[in-house]
This record gives sequence, C-alpha cells and structure tokens, in this order.
Amino acid sequence: MNPLESLRLAWRSIRGHKLRSALTTLGIVIGIAAVIAFVTLGASLQAGIIGDISPDDQRNVYGWAAEPDTEGGPLAGAQPVFTGDDLEAVEDLEAVEAAYGYATIQTQAISNGEETVAQGNGLIASGPSYIREERLAEGRQFRQGESEAVLNPAAANQFEENVTVGDELTVTILGGERRTVEVVGITDTSEGQSPFEGFESSPRVYVPTDPYYTEQASGLGTGGGDDGGDNESAGESGEARFLAIIVEAPSDDAADIDAARESATDYLESDQSDASEFLGDDLAVRFQTSTELLQQLQDVLDLLRNFIVGIAAISLLVGSIGIANIMLVSVTERTREIGIMKAVGAQNRDVLGLFLTEAVILGVIGAILGTALGLVGGYVGAEYVDLPLVYPLEYVALAVVVGILVGVLAGLYPAWRAARTDPIDALRYE
Amino acid sequence: MATAETAVSLSDVRKTYRIGEPVHALDGVSLEVPQGSYTAIMGPSGSGKSTLMNLVGCLDTPTEGEVVVGGRAVDALDDRERTRLRGTEVGFVFQTFNLMPRLNAVENVALPQLFQGIGRTERRERARDLLERVGLADRGDHLPNELSGGQRQRVALARALVNDPAIVLADEPSGNLDTDTEAEILDLFDEFHDAGTTMIVVTHERHVAERADRIVHLLDGRIERIEELDGGAAEPASRTGSSGRSEGDSE
Repeated sequence: MNPLESLRLAWRSIRGHKLRSALTTLGIVIGIAAVIAFVTLGASLQAGIIGDISPDDQRNVYGWAAEPDTEGGPLAGAQPVFTGDDLEAVEDLEAVEAAYGYATIQTQAISNGEETVAQGNGLIASGPSYIREERLAEGRQFRQGESEAVLNPAAANQFEENVTVGDELTVTILGGERRTVEVVGITDTSEGQSPFEGFESSPRVYVPTDPYYTEQASGLGTGGGDDGGDNESAGESGEARFLAIIVEAPSDDAADIDAARESATDYLESDQSDASEFLGDDLAVRFQTSTELLQQLQDVLDLLRNFIVGIAAISLLVGSIGIANIMLVSVTERTREIGIMKAVGAQNRDVLGLFLTEAVILGVIGAILGTALGLVGGYVGAEYVDLPLVYPLEYVALAVVVGILVGVLAGLYPAWRAARTDPIDALRYE
Repeated sequence: MATAETAVSLSDVRKTYRIGEPVHALDGVSLEVPQGSYTAIMGPSGSGKSTLMNLVGCLDTPTEGEVVVGGRAVDALDDRERTRLRGTEVGFVFQTFNLMPRLNAVENVALPQLFQGIGRTERRERARDLLERVGLADRGDHLPNELSGGQRQRVALARALVNDPAIVLADEPSGNLDTDTEAEILDLFDEFHDAGTTMIVVTHERHVAERADRIVHLLDGRIERIEELDGGAAEPASRTGSSGRSEGDSE
C-alpha cells in the first residue's frame, strides 16, 4: 500500500473521532507552543539587548582599573585612576578615534523650579559623544565645559510638568552644593546608554565631565584625592580621576577594536600615564566591548531559556504518552477493522503503516498548531515587554520534526500491536 | 494432488488446539473442491466448520496434512505469502458483513485491491462495475450504516469478488437477513456461480445448503458424509471434465 493511501485512510479515522483526536493533540500543542513562545521571547530579549548596542557603540571599548582577579560585571572593583591628561594622551594614540572619561556623580536632588525630586546616583558625567546623536529624541549633545545636560525620558517625566529642551534645572550635589544646568537634549529611551549604567530603565541625567566632574571631584576629593589627600601629585589639568574610560576605535572591525584596546592598555600601563602611578602591581586596566560585557547576562539568559525549554519538553513527553494511550485504545477499538483488512489481504506492514501514520498525523498537527500558538504567544509577550520581535525559524522547523518524532515514538508500540493482531481472533472480536 | 482444475484441496488435514487438553478441531479431513463448483458445509456447533473455513481461507495453517488453495500449499507459506494468497485467491463473505464502517460502498469493495497496490482510478472503476453487477450502482457513495442488511451483504459479495479469487468463502451469509433478502442474496450467489465462480458456503440451514451442488456434513472434526444434489450433476470428475476453465496454473 503506498504512503498516500495510508495517509488517506489514517486521516479518515482521525476525522472519525474529532473530539478525541483534538484532545490528544492538545498535549503536543501545549508542549510545542511553550517551547516556541519561550524561545521566541528569549531570542527577542537577546535581540533587544544586542540591539541596545548601537552600531556606534560596537566600536567602543570600556575600560576600568581593578584587581586582576576581580570577578563581576562592568566596573567591578573599579578604582578611579584615569586623569584628564590620560584621556587626552589616549585620544592622541594612532589606533584611537576618541577617548573620554566616565563617572557617576552622587547627587541629592534635582529641582525644576519649585518642584524637587530626590535623585541618588542619577548624574552621569562623560564626554559629549557618550550620548550618540541618533539616540537623541530632541535637542543636541551637551558640550564639554558648559553647564548643560541631556536627560532621558524617565528623568524628564518625573516632574509634574515635563522637562523640555531649554528648561533649567537645579542639581543638588552630595554635600549640598547647588548647580544650575540647562537641558539641551532628551534621549529616545530610558535604558542605559552603555553597559556601565546597566540596561534597565531609570531616570538619568547626563552631563559633561568638565565642569561637573572635574570641579566636584577636586572639591570633594572623591576623585584622585584618595591617596592620602595630596591632590597636587595628580597633575595640573585637574585632580579629578575617572573611574572609567571609554575608547572609541575607528571602526567596529575586530582588528581595529583590538588595536585600540591594546594601544590604550599599553599606554595606560606604561610609566608615561598618570594612571600608572596607581596601577602598580595591584591593579590592571581592563578593556571590554559592550558585547563582551553582555556575555554574562547572555549566559544567564541562555540558562533560563534552557530551563524553560526543559520544562516544555516534559510537557511534550506527557503529550506523547497521551498519543500512545489513545492509539492503544484505538487499536483495541478497531480490532475488528484490523481483522477485516487482514482478511482481505492487508500485510502486517500495511496495518503498521496505517496506525503509525495516524500517530504521526496527530503529532504533526499538534506541532503545527503548537508552533502557530507559540509564535502568537511569543508575539504577544514581546509586544507586552516591548522587545523587538525575533522568530527563531530553526525552532519552527525543529518543532515539526519533533512532532513527527513524537508521533513515531508514541505510535510505534500501538501500531506494532495492531500489526500483530491475529485476523481470526480479530474477526470474532465484538 | 492439486490440479489446475482444483480450487481447494485438503488431504488428511488435522488441526489440534492445545488449551489444556488437546482438542482435535479437525481430525483427518480430505476434500477436493473443483473449480466452478458450489459446495455447502454443514454441521452442528463444534463440528469444525469454522476451523475448516479458516484453513481454506488461508487465515490459519493445519497442524498436520496439506491444504492447497489456488494451486499453492498454504502450510508451506510464511505469514506474508499467506496474506498475499488470501488477498488474491480468497474472497470472504461474513455473517456480520464486516464492512469498514468509515469507508463508503465503493471504497469497501475496492479495499482488497488497495492492499494489492492497484491504482486508485482502476480500483474505483472495478468497484463500480461490481456494485452494478450486485445491483447497487446507485449506492456507491453510501456508508455501510446507510445501507440495509441485504445491501451490505451485496457490498461484501462485491468485495469478495474484486480480486477474481479462486474461491468465494461465505460464512452464514444469510444468517442476519430476513427471508426475502436471504433469497435475493442466494440468487446472486447462484448467478455468480453460473458465471464460473467457485463457492463454498458454511451454514447450518438446510435450505441455504441446498442451493449447492453438494453438501459436506461435518461431525466432530470429521466428514460424516458428502451429499450430492441435483441428481449427481455435481459429480466432481464429470464437472471438472466438462469445465472449460483451465487457467494453465499447473503445479
């Protein structure tokens, strides 16, 4: 009997038991849908995170000085060692396009006219290009040396009256000093601009390192003054020492990035740099790209996804036991039909093929419906969490293969039982 | 022993079931069924009718002795070959019709050809032809439960004939039918018999058996007697001698 005929006959008997077939398939539908939905969400989440690394960011390397065996994410164990001179010298290196410092400024509050909002760690001082042009929803980048600031939407909207470009804010720095800043730009999202900040949405205010950080640091001694209060040793251009340094390579080409990373490290660890006096034997400069910094997060995501896929696989197993069970019932129920077919010349393999086909059809229908449901689920989930939707197409193909496989495995024993049925007994069966 | 003119031959066939005490369902049965003949098998319950039918229908193999169907020794065949022989050389008609409930009349008639790998179009044509011959030309698309008992048995008869078998084996073919319908079905049997089909009918009703050329009476697993009907017109030797059917199946 050719496979097409088996298919036709098998489909006929599935249609003969619509409700039963539907319920049987449900187990597979749920299993496959869960896998597809979670894998879609995982892939979308990954794309969302990777997407946060804009093309411009891909040529950045983020550096900080820490004890060499410090474990952890960005800025783990970082010590403020980089001076303004270091930044300029690094920027002058041939392999480096630009370099700027990064530091967070401790603040108490931010006021917009009468209204004051408490803000702890929200002031981020860096170079102008830290906020890339394409990430500005309004306005422009701040300029170095000016009392300007760029806000993210979360920071701009936390006041009763939303802050817009051109407004003036009063920042109260830890210690009580007040400063007035002019808002020159608003970013497009409230997510972090670099791995240093983390990627979660929170109110952030971006300001130029000069004047904010350099002045504040020299004033409060949080910068370079930790080494016994002798700020003079830190050099002339300002005593401020930056926690971190961001180095821009000329392109996002891996070779260029490595060249920039190496030349910057070489310089900073050489005796020419101001940083070297603090580095000594204890600290080492570490430069990493956003992608590298995100790797850890990625590993956690992968683990989580595998865990969920594992649970979904259990549901698939339960589903296939359901198919096996219903096929066994079906074989018993159709004993007489099997007897008739064998009496009129059906070979064992014909009967085997017929029942196996039936199980595979159930599995494949389950897989297809499950895939559709999973894709819809993934879409809804991604929409809800506001992630870019990415469909892992290889998993869709895999789902159908799994459906066939589940059908074969679940159908094998019942089909074998059917094939072995003795026609004499089967014809006598009531 | 088997000749081209013999549709089925049994020689000293024994069938013993071992369920605790050995039971001799058939105890040395020898029988020749010539081609084109019409044989009825009668006997009380437990006389071995069913066992004999299973052996002739290639559903079972004898414990001892030889069964030859369509020129081939059944006991020498493995399960696959036996199934194939059954599919091509034996047509079954059952008391309970035994049609596939989800297949319509045409599909039921065509079912044996499906397992012989014959194409869909050819199968359907053949099935419609046969349905026409049993008088059900307009019922081809009906499911068994949409047909009357007599109509179902006609479908079953058409199915039995679809592969041009060496014998048609009917087990109480009219057991579930009323008297009028029974007569119709048996008339149809006569019609096909006259056209050359070899018929074996197992029954315990005298008037059904009397349609045959001869009646084989079974008792306790043995042939009690063979009763020739129609004034000896069905004498095996004379019948086969006058038969024009010689398919050259010499073995």
